[in-house]
Amino acid sequence: MADLISYMPLLMRGMVTTILLAILGLALATVFGGLGAAGKLSGGRIAKRVVWLYTSIVRGIPDIVMLLLLYFGGQRLINDIGGMLGWDYVELSKFLSGVLTIGFIYGAYLTETFRGAYLTIPRGQVEAAQALGLRPFTTLIKVSIPQLVRFALPGYANVWQVLVKSTAVVSIIGLQDLVGLANDAGKTVRQPFVFFSFVLLAYLCITFVSTTLFDWLERRTALKTHES
Amino acid sequence: MKKTLCAAAMTFATLAGAASAADLKICVEGAYPPFSETATDGSVVGFDIDIANALCADMGKSCEMLKTDWDGIIPALLERKCDAIIASMSITEERKQVIDFSGKYYNTPGRFVGKDGMSEDDLSGKTVGVQRGTIHQAFMEGEFPDVELKLYGSQDEVYLDLVAGRIDASMADSIAQLDGFLNTEAGDGFGFFGGSYSIPKYHGDGAGIGVRKADTELRDAFSTSISNIRTSGEYETINSKYFAFDIYGG
Repeated sequence: MADLISYMPLLMRGMVTTILLAILGLALATVFGGLGAAGKLSGGRIAKRVVWLYTSIVRGIPDIVMLLLLYFGGQRLINDIGGMLGWDYVELSKFLSGVLTIGFIYGAYLTETFRGAYLTIPRGQVEAAQALGLRPFTTLIKVSIPQLVRFALPGYANVWQVLVKSTAVVSIIGLQDLVGLANDAGKTVRQPFVFFSFVLLAYLCITFVSTTLFDWLERRTALKTHES
Repeated sequence: MKKTLCAAAMTFATLAGAASAADLKICVEGAYPPFSETATDGSVVGFDIDIANALCADMGKSCEMLKTDWDGIIPALLERKCDAIIASMSITEERKQVIDFSGKYYNTPGRFVGKDGMSEDDLSGKTVGVQRGTIHQAFMEGEFPDVELKLYGSQDEVYLDLVAGRIDASMADSIAQLDGFLNTEAGDGFGFFGGSYSIPKYHGDGAGIGVRKADTELRDAFSTSISNIRTSGEYETINSKYFAFDIYGG
């Protein structure tokens, strides 16, 4: 226990890395998801094909494979291209690789979440907006997106929960996240059980806080009916 | 706009970890005490790191230690994320197909463990326990033919019978016995005795410094520096910080 306390500042640093990674990953995933959903819903034939390929491939392979492919494979690609262009060695950072991988993977899941949410919006609303003479862009901002947020939120929160836990895979490339640091420290003082128990509690804490936050958001965006 | 672009470029440069200032980047591990362990401030310390620093000083190069997960350590070397691996990596034929190694920088010797006060001269006619199928069994059969061997499925059973008095001594890896037995409660009243054995024929080639196959110059520089710090006494100083006996081996 004393060991755990002396390693606490380090573990906290790891937790910050994990949280940052998750939040930036989610931000990137939201961008990918938005683009993907837009492509699936209103893109041309090529855009639809590309998004279909993206969601089917990414959702079909394990995140750890994707991470290793990007971190080591991406580095080799940079090395090879850099070698041809005569660059010096350019390092692909672990944190950046982690964010890119997580954003890329969960963007595929969010594509489906957003698409599903958009399809839930009654068709008549867009038509009504057209009848009122609203331009397509205004319709999107004023009519579709506010409702899309409401429909997408439960699925979005769900993807976030899975995403948080998926950040644990980045320790494989040596990024000093919560899991990686706890593993090293636990092995150093030969008490892996104590350290991983702490990791367990830390993840529960992160997911508990974020669930509470999403619940609040869902209530806030919910339709106000007369009964409530 | 210009400002934003500039800021974005700078962020990217930081994230991408613009080329490091050090001459050499060294992959270390951080979860293999006492060779490589993570300190409370997150830095990596231990025998491997002290040796790495001593070798860099001897070569007159600045080095940066990069903590890397064991599973990704060879890919990290190959993709030039670091230039050398100093992580207690055993020199094996399988690894040699992908990377190259310097000469060994240690080879934890095999040693006898028995009741305090025992000596190697007492061994003849006595019973020694070893784990079945290990290099230590082959070593005992080759070098101590007049000692009776008792074979066990695991090293823990050897310790149990040693404490119970069914065997007179155990022969196994010195560090493993230190951690697994002598430093535990069960090991009270027991100690190492006799010589430190690491004969390549039985004990393999030891742990070396991994480099990319193309970097033969770096490999030779490491090998030279290892023998330099052996003769200068630097190695001995580091060794005695961690171990009571010379782990370089014969």
